[in-house]
Amino acid sequence: MARRKKHGRCFAAVLLTIGAPAWERAKADDRPVTRVATIPIPSASIFIAVDGSAERLVGMHPLSRSAIEEGVLGRMFPSARVINSSIAAGGADGFMPNVETLAMLDPDVVVQWGDRGDDIVAPLRNAGMHTALMRYGTEQFARDSLTLMGEIAGKPDKARRLIAWREAVATEIAAKAAAMPDKRRLKVVYLQRASTGLVVAGANTYSDYYIRLVGGVNAAAELSGALAINAEQLAQWAPDVILLNGFEEQLTPRRIYDDPLLSGAKAAMERRVYKMPIGGYRWDPPSHENPLAWMWLAQLLYPDLFRYDLRKEIEESYQIVYGYRPSLSDIDSVLRLSVNGDARGYDRFTAVAPTPGHAP
Amino acid sequence: MSLLSAITSEARAGRSTLPRWAGALGVAGLFTAAALTALCVGRFQIMPEKAMAILLSRIAPVTPDWSAMDERIVLLVRAPRVVLASLCGAGLAMSGAALQGVFRNPLVAPQILGVSPGAAFGGALAILAGASGYALIGAACAMGVAALAMVGALARVDGRSDAIMLVLTGIVVGALFTALVSLVQFLADPNSSLPAIVFWLMGSFSAATWTRVFVAAPAVLAGMALVWLMRFRINVLSLGEEEARALGLAVDRDRWLVFAATALIEGATVSVAGVIGWVGLVVPHAARMLVGSDQRLLLPTAAALGASYLLFVDSLARAATAAEIPLGVITAVIGAPIFAALLRKTRRKEIRA
Repeated sequence: MARRKKHGRCFAAVLLTIGAPAWERAKADDRPVTRVATIPIPSASIFIAVDGSAERLVGMHPLSRSAIEEGVLGRMFPSARVINSSIAAGGADGFMPNVETLAMLDPDVVVQWGDRGDDIVAPLRNAGMHTALMRYGTEQFARDSLTLMGEIAGKPDKARRLIAWREAVATEIAAKAAAMPDKRRLKVVYLQRASTGLVVAGANTYSDYYIRLVGGVNAAAELSGALAINAEQLAQWAPDVILLNGFEEQLTPRRIYDDPLLSGAKAAMERRVYKMPIGGYRWDPPSHENPLAWMWLAQLLYPDLFRYDLRKEIEESYQIVYGYRPSLSDIDSVLRLSVNGDARGYDRFTAVAPTPGHAP
Repeated sequence: MSLLSAITSEARAGRSTLPRWAGALGVAGLFTAAALTALCVGRFQIMPEKAMAILLSRIAPVTPDWSAMDERIVLLVRAPRVVLASLCGAGLAMSGAALQGVFRNPLVAPQILGVSPGAAFGGALAILAGASGYALIGAACAMGVAALAMVGALARVDGRSDAIMLVLTGIVVGALFTALVSLVQFLADPNSSLPAIVFWLMGSFSAATWTRVFVAAPAVLAGMALVWLMRFRINVLSLGEEEARALGLAVDRDRWLVFAATALIEGATVSVAGVIGWVGLVVPHAARMLVGSDQRLLLPTAAALGASYLLFVDSLARAATAAEIPLGVITAVIGAPIFAALLRKTRRKEIRA
C-alpha cells in the first residue's frame, strides 16, 4: 500500500533558466504531494532516487518502466514494476500525455518535457493538472532536474546532496584531466545507435560533455548533435575507444568485433569497445547516476590517473541514494560484466567484495 | 489528361539525332565514370590510384602499398555500395520506364502499385521487432509482394483488371501500408528503433555489404531480365489497351508480368536500401528525351542512366559531410525541380500548339 507522507508546505515556483515556470503548482494550493506522474523517460528514475522510494509515483512513460525493469531499479523497488505506464501515447515521439488515464490516476503533479514544444504540455494544463517542466541534455539541466524533483518530493536536501556529489566528482575529474598533455588524450566515439546503421553523438551532446570531462577527445565533434554516419567515416576518425549506448538492449560489443570493416578499427583491434552500464537508470544520458558514469569512463580511459574503486562507489552511493545495498551480482549487472567482461581493462571492475563505506 | 497525353506524345516524338552507337557509348561511359568516381571518393582518405590498384589487385598481380584498412574500405564498404547503388538505380529506372509504357502515363512511378509502401511496412516492422539482416530483407520483400497481391486481387473485377482500376487500387493499398508504417513509427521506441526506422525509410546504402548485394542482385536482375524480355509487348501495350487486344496481345497477362517484375525490383530495392523515391519517375524522362519511347532502346538507356544517377547521389550522400545524408532527401531535392521544369516545358509547348 502506498505510503503517503504529509508535506504541509507550500512550494515556491522554481524558475528555469529561460524564465518559464518549471513548477506550476499554485502557491495557494499547499496540499501535500502524494501522487506524481512522470512522462520524460529518465524522470521516473530520478524521482525515485530523490524520493528514495517508488511509493508516490503513480504513473510513468512505458520506456521509463522498461529502463527500470532492465536495470537494477526494479530489483531495488519491486513496486516500481507495476506502476501504470500507459500515461503517454501518440505524438511524433511518443510523449503526448494520455490525459484521461492521467485524470484517472489523479496525480498532484505531472512531470513533462519543458523543451519539446507546448503541444505536449497544453493538454495537461487544459485538464487543470499541475505540471512540472523538465529540460534535458546538458549538465546544468541535469542539476535543474534534481532541484525540481527535490521540490516535488519535498526533499530539497537530498537533491542538493546529489548535486554536490556531481559537483565534487566533476571538479576532481576535470582537475586531473586538465593536467593531462594533449598527446595522451584518447579519441572516443559514442554510438548513440548501432544496431541498424550508425548514429554518433557530436558536439553539443551530453556524451560530448563527459568525454571531454574525463580528458578524452570526442572524435565526432565536427558534427553537432546526434547524426547518422557510415562505417567509412568511423574508420576515418579511428577512435581509440568506442562506447555503445545503453538504450539498444540487444546491442553488445560483438556488433563491432564481428563487423568485417569495423573489426579492423583501432578500438576493435585493441578490444576497447564498451557498452554503457545501466544502474538505477542508463549511465549515458543525463540522470542522477552520472558521477558513477564519469568515474567509470575516466578509469577506463586513464587507469593510471583515476584510481576509483568503482564497485565500492556503486555500493556506497546506492545505499545513500536508494537505501539499498547492492549484491555482487547487482554490481556485475550494472557494469554489464557479461558483455564487457573480456574488453581491455575491464577486469579492474570485476568482483571485489562490497564493504560499507562513506556517503557520496 | 491532355497534359499527360502531351507529355507522352512529346516523349515519343523526341528522338535523338545522335547515332545509336554514340548514344550507347555515351551512357556506358557515363556509368563507368560514375562507378569509378564512387569508388574513389569518400570520407576515408584513399588516393584514387590506390583505390584502383586495390580493385585491380583482385584480378591481377599488384604489389600492395596500402594498409589493411584501405583495402577493407574499398572492397568491403565502397565496392558493395557501388554495386548495390548501380543495381537499384538501374532497376528502379527500368521499372519506371516499363510502367510508364504500360500505363501510357509518364507520371507513373514504381511506387504506384503499392509495392514500396508494402515493403516499407515490412522493413519497419522488422526493425521494430529488433530484426536486421536477412530477417529485415525478407520481411520487406514479403510485404512488398503481399501488397502487389492485394492490388491484384482488389483490382480484378469480372476476371479483368483495367489500368484505371489498377492505379486506384494501388493508391488505396499504398495508403493502407503508409498508415501501417505510421502505426509502426507510433509504436517504436523513440530512443532506439524509431530513429532507425525513420532513417531507413528515407533510403540509404550505408549498410551495404556483399551479403546484401547477393541477396538483392538475383531479384533485381531477374526483374530487369523479365522487363527486357517484355520490351516488344510493352511497346504494343503503350499503344493502348484496345489496340493491344486487337493485335492479339494477352493484355492482362502481359501487364501482370511487367508488374511482377517491377514488384520484384522494388521489393528487393526497398529491402536493402529503404525507400528511394523519384528515380523511377525522373530518370525514364531523361532517357526518353535521349532515345525516344521505343522500349528496346529506352530500357537499357534508363537502366544505365538510373545506375549513374544513383551512384552520383550516393557519392554525394556519403562524402559531402561527415554525417550520412539520406538518399531519399537528395533524390527528391534534385528530382522535384527537374520534374517541375519538365512539366512547365511541356505545358508551354502544349499552349503554343
